[in-house]
Amino acid sequence: MSENPRPDELGGAAVSAPLQPSSADAAVGADVKESASKPRSLMRRVWGQSEGRVGIILTGVIVLLAFLGPLLAPVLTVYAPTEFADRPFQSTGLFGTDDLGRSVASRFLAGGMLLVLYSVAATAIGMVVGAAFGIIAAYAGGATDAIIMRINDVLLAIPQLVFAMLAIVVLGPQGWVLILVIGLTHAPRIARVARAATLSVINEDYIRAAEMYAMPRSRIILREIVPNITGPLSVEAGLRLTYSIGSIASLSFLGLGMQPPTADWGLMINENRIALSIQPWGVILPVAAIAVLTIGTNLLADATARANASTNVGNA
Amino acid sequence: MLGGAVGAGSLGLLAACGPGPAARVDMSGGPRSGGVLRVGLSGGSSADTVDAHIPVNSGDSARVINLYDTLLLRGDDFELVYRLAESFEPNDEATVWTATIRQGVVFHDGKPLTADDVVFTFERITDPDDPKSGAAGLGMLDEVVAIDDHTVEFRLSEPNSVLDDTVGQYSAGIVPRGYDPENPIGTGPFKLQSFDPGQSTVLVANHDYWDEGPYLDELHLLNFNDTDAVINALLSSQVDCVGQIPLSLVDVIGSDERMEILNSETGMWLPFTMRGDKEPFDDVRVRQAMRLAVDRPGMIEQVFSGHGQIANDMFAPYDPDYPSDLPQREQDIAEAKRLLTEAGYPDGLTVELVTAPIQSGAVEAAQVFAQQAKAAGITIDIRRVDTTTFFGENYLQWDFAQSFWYTRNFVPQAVSCVLEESPFNETGYVDDEFTDRLDRIRAELNPRVRGELIRQAQHQLYDEGGYIIWGFGNQVDAYQNYVGGFVENSTGLPLSGYTFRRNWMGEVS
Amino acid sequence: MTKLILRRLVLSVFILLAVSVLVFCATLLLPGDPARAILGQQATPERIAALNAQLNLDQPAVVRYFLWLGGLFVGDFGMSTAFGGPVSELLGERITASLVLMVLAAVVSIPVGLFFGIWSALHRGGRRDRAVTWVSLTLAALPEFVIGIALVTIFATSVFQILPAVTMAPPGTPVWAIPSQLILPTITLALVVAPYIARMMRATMIDVLDSGYVEMARLKGVPERQVVLRHAVPHAIGPVAQVIAIQLAWLAGGVVVVEFLFRYPGIGQALIDAVNFRDVQVVQAVSMIVAIVYVVVNLLADIVGILANPKLRSAA
Repeated sequence: MSENPRPDELGGAAVSAPLQPSSADAAVGADVKESASKPRSLMRRVWGQSEGRVGIILTGVIVLLAFLGPLLAPVLTVYAPTEFADRPFQSTGLFGTDDLGRSVASRFLAGGMLLVLYSVAATAIGMVVGAAFGIIAAYAGGATDAIIMRINDVLLAIPQLVFAMLAIVVLGPQGWVLILVIGLTHAPRIARVARAATLSVINEDYIRAAEMYAMPRSRIILREIVPNITGPLSVEAGLRLTYSIGSIASLSFLGLGMQPPTADWGLMINENRIALSIQPWGVILPVAAIAVLTIGTNLLADATARANASTNVGNA
Repeated sequence: MLGGAVGAGSLGLLAACGPGPAARVDMSGGPRSGGVLRVGLSGGSSADTVDAHIPVNSGDSARVINLYDTLLLRGDDFELVYRLAESFEPNDEATVWTATIRQGVVFHDGKPLTADDVVFTFERITDPDDPKSGAAGLGMLDEVVAIDDHTVEFRLSEPNSVLDDTVGQYSAGIVPRGYDPENPIGTGPFKLQSFDPGQSTVLVANHDYWDEGPYLDELHLLNFNDTDAVINALLSSQVDCVGQIPLSLVDVIGSDERMEILNSETGMWLPFTMRGDKEPFDDVRVRQAMRLAVDRPGMIEQVFSGHGQIANDMFAPYDPDYPSDLPQREQDIAEAKRLLTEAGYPDGLTVELVTAPIQSGAVEAAQVFAQQAKAAGITIDIRRVDTTTFFGENYLQWDFAQSFWYTRNFVPQAVSCVLEESPFNETGYVDDEFTDRLDRIRAELNPRVRGELIRQAQHQLYDEGGYIIWGFGNQVDAYQNYVGGFVENSTGLPLSGYTFRRNWMGEVS
Repeated sequence: MTKLILRRLVLSVFILLAVSVLVFCATLLLPGDPARAILGQQATPERIAALNAQLNLDQPAVVRYFLWLGGLFVGDFGMSTAFGGPVSELLGERITASLVLMVLAAVVSIPVGLFFGIWSALHRGGRRDRAVTWVSLTLAALPEFVIGIALVTIFATSVFQILPAVTMAPPGTPVWAIPSQLILPTITLALVVAPYIARMMRATMIDVLDSGYVEMARLKGVPERQVVLRHAVPHAIGPVAQVIAIQLAWLAGGVVVVEFLFRYPGIGQALIDAVNFRDVQVVQAVSMIVAIVYVVVNLLADIVGILANPKLRSAA
């Protein structure tokens, strides 16, 4: 899917992010436990929310399915993902056959791994590149900052999917192209977040102290800045992961991502949709899997956002 | 409009739970006059044409067959039928063919058909500055002479005993002298009213047509961008019939009460092509190994959903001299491996197959074959390109690719693809013995002798040709039950060979 | 304030120029000979040379870039290799079709989003609010094609069969000739965009409902409905208008997947076909059109945000 610009990316007036609750909301319904002791860790705060729990479970189930599926496919479904079970679009086997007569169940089990792997890789690349540029821009300031931000603006002016298609026209629909392109389209947005977060910690005392000790800037970045901006960055990571999954699945659906005969959820949906009315499973199973996965990661991202915003969240 | 009445209650794709109620149609009265037939086709583009002599895609064929007539034509059972010619006979040496032109035929503008128009037509087709599709098979045509108003002589530079076959192609429609494709005139059952390339063609009835029909008032040929759209259009009654439906959907569309399926066995073939002048296919053992790696019944099942017949690496199954006694090749993995080892590939072979959606089933066939060939240690890397690239600068040069042909008899097919001068020699097959034999076939008037020569030529292709011909697919179309006049047709052209002059609209009660 | 707006304007122009350079680089990087691709089987050396000269393909890259850029201003987008004619001819009808879809989607999603935002703000903390939140989170996570396929499965093929699953009118007929084929694509786009509008409206409404002048109105005894409609909503519209504008900008790129799914004859479909056929001129043209719409609408969004911000407004 083309990533929907979140309102907190507006260049202009600052606006509160609507999908993150205001502190008033977090307080409502949650037991406010004033505590002088160390606040619970981020993970526990996430798990403490019903949203977080659901998110972790949903994501976990699909990821497990994606990685164990290819191994279990021949065992559970009798057929290998590339084996022919019957004529096309028949009801043989657990969930029928696909457009070439292969077992839908088997290909479904095998179809998630590449999607998850590519999405994680793309997100990782985006995070690393984006954070690097954002931190450098904020820390270096001045001309470097201005240049980096303008480059950002240019990259942000092209919708993500269109950019991906441009790259694929030139380079072809290969795995590394997908990962690189999706990662690079995430980078500007992550850079903005990283920059904002860095700006807020740059004037802290411990940074000043480190500078006074003539610590090299690279070490300051790695040792002092990065650990202190993990909060907002982890929120971004969750969101970016959701969009990565959506984008890569969409590109495969458009025929520009994974190529046949690879078993892939996005590809399956497009291959089988001409027979949606007679053998819907070839479409419904992968659609459901992608839906559950993206909902799970988005819930996780949202819960992480709340946990990051307030240490009083997710109690009891 | 009848279509609208029937379709009013049911939009959207067919459901597994059953269709809406079918309107009651009475087709027993036989052909009735009137009505507009809307035909759904796909594959059109801005390159569409109404020129009688250069039909390329399916829509072009439909236009050409209905606007023009040929001297002869293949009928529903692939028999050669006289059309504008009442007779077409060779002399004893097969160096001169004489055609007697039917009397009383007029063009759409009222001008009567004469021998002079036939002369002009063939001069146009074989014009050396701008040769048309049919020119390849007419290389030996020296001159066409009008003996009188209704007799034409085809004088050849070499003997050709099967000229009637060549002249009987739908791309050889007779046009009047002074023919201009911008304002197309023919003798066909329909006249052109409007033409929008890639979109729609509107044809109106020619009421002075010399043969049976047309019963329809108008014929609309509508182009859709893809299969999904055209099938939806049929199911929601935006069109009355569709030429060529995906074979995997035959059962479900057929189960709809409102629809009929036209399922014709044909000699259409969708082969894999191996260039015999490129490695590794220059070694006949490798070619034979590839042919042995195919599981032919499996291909029919997975690619055609069972709607087809297995083939034996030879084309022209409807040719009376097709050697059906040659042993049917079957998948033989052991032998394939042995041949590969002998040829110097003991650990198997890796090749790249170029595929494109040139025809429904092409890409699927590539994928299925790639899967099958693994068992013999042959790794096929599929390189899928778009049709533009496929027919681009590398067309006919691909080492290992695919092709698509309608039904033809042996000689016209061979002339098109396995001779050095063939316009479509996609396997790079050049063999003097074969060419020699073909020359003798063309010169031989005795059908028994000719038959034996054809058998020998086929046997040679069976043993060493560059085609992997695994099956002949059925041509399956779908139409609403209120359309009458469709019959099974073996030429491979959809909707009864596009002969819409036989169609009529039934009355919906 | 005008200075701010002017700065944004100038920035946008620069961004678009930079985007055009990026997009133009795609032609340079693409392998293959465009002239040969256009001529197909009629390619002779003389004809190729002639076409090269005609299309200015024999000029150096920089010159070609400016020729192309200049062409954009007069509506000359070059020649399509697949279509065999001018790109502008190919895209003319399609732009209209896409605009129809985007306008319809906006017309549906804005009132729906606003309504649910206000509604959940009025019932904040309650069951209705939570239901809207969950639905919004779910919809926001799902890739558009998943939403589209779900709608097709429910309304066109497997549960009910009351709407067409694809656009089926023959090319040449305008898309509104069969209105029922517009319904599902519109709803899909609306469902992608509405959640953000709803959440933003909710957050802003909550802030506004807590504000001083609303309380004042209540104290004066104004009936609640009037409080909401006359006093609260107008103040909330400002920031929301910015979000709405951003969503509309997103629609420019968002139509791509939806058009592919429903075989809708718009510029998104044209882009996908062009990528499949390696028809670079069309890809460039559509990318620029989409980028221009995106940047322009974002600029308008920024301007709306500036105008709506009372602090900035009065600082003239």
